[in-house]
Amino acid sequence: MQIMDILIVLGGSVAFAILAPIIGCLLAGIDRVISARMQGRVGPPLLQPYYDVRKLFAKEKVTVNSVQDVYVICALIFAILAGGIFFTGGNLLMCVFVITLSSLFFIIAAYSSRSPYAEVGAARETIQVMSYEPMVLIFAVAFYMATTFISPEGIPGSFNVSEIFSLDMPVIGPMVLVFLGLLFILTIKLRKSPFDLSMSHHAHQEIVRGMTTEMSGSTLALVEITHWCENVLFLGWIAIFFVWSNPVSIALAIVVALLVYFLEIFIDNNFARVKWQFMFKSAWIVALVCGGVNLAVLAFL
Amino acid sequence: MGYSSKSPWVIHYDGSSCNGCDIEVLATLCPGFDGERFGVINTGNPKHADIFLVTGSVNEQNIDVVKEIYEQMVEPKVVVACGICACSGGIFHDCYNVIGGVDKAIPVDVYAPGCAVRPEALIDAIVKGIAVLDQKAAELKAAK
Amino acid sequence: MELLVFLIAFPIVAAALLLCVRNDIGRGAITCVSAGVIACASIVLAVEHLGTEGVYFDAASEYIDYLCTLISSICVVIIIAFSLKYKRLLAGVLAALQIGAVFVVEFGFAHEMEVPQGLYIDSFSILMALIIGIIGSGICVYALGYMKDFQHHEPEDAKDRRPVFFALMFIFLSAMFAIVFSNNMSWIFTAWEVTTLCSFLLIGYTKTDEAIANAFRQIVMNLLGGIAFIFALFYCALELKTFSFVEFIATGITSPDLVLIPVILLAFAGITKAAQMPFQTWLLGAMVAPTPTSALLHSSTMVKAGVFLLVKLAPCFLVSPVPSIMVMLVGAITFLLCSFMAISQTNAKRVLAYSTIANLGLITACAGVGSPEAVWAAIFLILFHAIAKSLLFLCVGTAEHHIGSRDIEDMDLLFERMPRLARFMMLGIMCMFIAPFGMLIAKWATLVSFADMDQIALILILAFGSAATFMFWAKWLGKLAGIAGSPENVETTVHKSEWAALVLMAALLIVCCVLIPYISWGIVIPYEVSVYGLAVQDISNDNLWLASICVFVVVIALFTGIGRSKAKKVDIYLSGINIDDDTRTFRNSLSGETQAIVRNWYMESLFGESKIAPIGVIFNSVIMVAALVLALCGLTLI
Repeated sequence: MQIMDILIVLGGSVAFAILAPIIGCLLAGIDRVISARMQGRVGPPLLQPYYDVRKLFAKEKVTVNSVQDVYVICALIFAILAGGIFFTGGNLLMCVFVITLSSLFFIIAAYSSRSPYAEVGAARETIQVMSYEPMVLIFAVAFYMATTFISPEGIPGSFNVSEIFSLDMPVIGPMVLVFLGLLFILTIKLRKSPFDLSMSHHAHQEIVRGMTTEMSGSTLALVEITHWCENVLFLGWIAIFFVWSNPVSIALAIVVALLVYFLEIFIDNNFARVKWQFMFKSAWIVALVCGGVNLAVLAFL
Repeated sequence: MGYSSKSPWVIHYDGSSCNGCDIEVLATLCPGFDGERFGVINTGNPKHADIFLVTGSVNEQNIDVVKEIYEQMVEPKVVVACGICACSGGIFHDCYNVIGGVDKAIPVDVYAPGCAVRPEALIDAIVKGIAVLDQKAAELKAAK
Repeated sequence: MELLVFLIAFPIVAAALLLCVRNDIGRGAITCVSAGVIACASIVLAVEHLGTEGVYFDAASEYIDYLCTLISSICVVIIIAFSLKYKRLLAGVLAALQIGAVFVVEFGFAHEMEVPQGLYIDSFSILMALIIGIIGSGICVYALGYMKDFQHHEPEDAKDRRPVFFALMFIFLSAMFAIVFSNNMSWIFTAWEVTTLCSFLLIGYTKTDEAIANAFRQIVMNLLGGIAFIFALFYCALELKTFSFVEFIATGITSPDLVLIPVILLAFAGITKAAQMPFQTWLLGAMVAPTPTSALLHSSTMVKAGVFLLVKLAPCFLVSPVPSIMVMLVGAITFLLCSFMAISQTNAKRVLAYSTIANLGLITACAGVGSPEAVWAAIFLILFHAIAKSLLFLCVGTAEHHIGSRDIEDMDLLFERMPRLARFMMLGIMCMFIAPFGMLIAKWATLVSFADMDQIALILILAFGSAATFMFWAKWLGKLAGIAGSPENVETTVHKSEWAALVLMAALLIVCCVLIPYISWGIVIPYEVSVYGLAVQDISNDNLWLASICVFVVVIALFTGIGRSKAKKVDIYLSGINIDDDTRTFRNSLSGETQAIVRNWYMESLFGESKIAPIGVIFNSVIMVAALVLALCGLTLI
């Protein structure tokens, strides 16, 4: 039984490793096209992110040290595993922890170069993680409490994502505030302006290229793929708010996830980068207010 | 056609110049000409760039900088000399400290003359550059 | 039972021998052999009693009671002597007060108190015995090499007091064994006082002004806890007519009101020993001691005695709101604020100290919640904290002797200067704060248990505290991970005994992380069953195995596959013409030389000690006073 469960997760991870980069790549392409249109440009072809990555793989392999690649590969593996856990209906907290492990490996990869720009980027990324982590943990706990809340009397809730398919209504109902809080920190997680402090998309250079300053060629390509996988996972987090036992709800959830992605692109194109103080304080205040109030409502109603 | 030509990321360095070409390079990347249509992206990091756009001439002070940036770029890479100063030194060619065009420092693949160089000419030069880039990528692949 | 007595008595024999032997070789031999014997004995004990729900042994004798009184008196005399010598009267006064109470309890009531079953062993004590027996004695072995270097750094004419040092370490172990095996609360108290005294002497070992001041701070705070303990005994003697710990807890579960006061007093004693705010300063001050002392205090002894007592009391907290809320809040606030303060520290040992206090806070909070799930989490926190912290302290100690600093900023490039050590250190750090390693699995269980009990405040505190934890560990980890050209390897001079201890801790850490499901099944669940009568665990086994797989991947990434990249090596990008990668110097636009210096973030303005510590001290003091007042009011009302 246990071995089956683990095999399902690992199998899911393999599937995720194939599908997520495809979806993530298309999403990134859509992002660039929409951004271009918002700026009054034609923009690149839809598959531009794919071309970029293919080109990066074709470049000569150079590195500043012998371990950076290993760390980046670890980051990718754990991002894929997190996706596998999530999309096979696994434990949400486990998914959160594994994706944090992935971020940590990426941070160590940047630190290991000892390049001043990469190090500044890594330090900022650490602050970003510190900023969004409370809200993410609260999201997982609130999910657990909300499933308890919605489930029929006597049936305990669960951290398992698959639980939503047995509910009569989506968890968005009792989790509206957490949803809003998650939207706020999603901007950090998707590396969108105004919170793209540690590394940013091409057009918004800062501190050279932040964390990826010393990564080139195939290493950079892997970073890009990791980012795609993460994006798909995070949109999955958004989507589960709108799924319940009705199969049609999956379509609804996908539409909502895409709308949220559009919203993030809109925000990206309309806000200038802020300082870390603002990001950190606002993210924590949002987590405290949205998360705290929502958890209290779930616990005491 | 390889993927290198579909995603030419550029880095831009301005040597000894009047800054006219410098501004034209940026104009090329702005919405008006929208270099990103061809996948052109302006990176700030030589390690990510495929095409090195140099404007202005090379002098005693900046020759090492030009060399350093070129060195840090990862193969395959292409150098485009943008504007007449970068091609030959232009009107600065007989200044006391000017060495000459960019080819005095590093191998240049495409020369784009003009004073200042027009964005159309630049896009043309980059398109010529990506052909060279593809060729170099193929050579690299063959060497592997 | 013979094994229990052996484990308590043998370290004392070893200590006596060590006190007599003055040469290095003899000391080395005795320490290694004794450590091995203790470790083996605790393993044998664990194997014999694996899965036990508690075995009680007949052990009672007036002579042991008198011996305990004698030991307590000796402790007090030593403390008073020191307090007179250094003119710190407060410690002396408290000690005198305490011995007065001891005499009253001992000669006034003790002979009426029959605790026929003086010794016991249950699964929790097995776990503690393993921690003390393996990690504690591992640290003693490590101390051999460390103290050699330490003595080397001392002035020429300094007296070699190492025999005392090693003797104290072993007495410490003996006292800890006594605490976890005794069912007679007056015996526990005696051992409790012995640990207080040992740590006092170890902290003051260097006899510098700072060390003396910190040692006295430690003794004053822990004597307060000791006095609370003896008052609890006093109350038990008057009201319950028994000193049996197991009966005390049983009473606490069935009629919580009856034992309200002693539970609060014992909780207070546990809180002082576990260095919870407002008593956190003694553990921070303990940093002045030689590193093996810190390792011992933080990982396997002293503070673990405090949380051991609290976790033992957990079933009482479950049914008694006043002490439960007190312990929960004190622990949770300590966790949150100490995690914040750790961000602002550059001194590696201080970061470790704050992290210890924070994690103890979490264990305390779990104990305060008191549900079986929370106890599951607390026990795993104790286990993994002990292993990871001992590994980290030993690493920092070795690094300090070889790079001459314990500042995190100076650990730049450690990955290359001391490649093996840096990897051990990275492993220890990762175990402390990131899934899939043990500490985070335990934190995960903590989070779930809080959610089950609808403890919103604790959930929020845990969420924010964990985020801060990520920050201070990740930036340290990053500093360690840096790699440049090829600086000199200074690792070759590390003593063999130090390596042995380090490898032991690292291996333990990996094994325990991978085998969490088995540890849960073999040790933690039986304890739950023995106390609560049910076996629950908040994380399903498939997730635990998944975590084990992740541990495997991380360890492989960390220890192998490194240095084999075939890619061409290039210089880092410095926005100038590179001159030297190691020092990060480059030629700038004015043809001058510039050095790029990157320091980590310490966010002093947000998380400075001076800003945060007072909040916790005031808040927690108020909570504890309020709890005591409430309990006393409740008592008078009844």
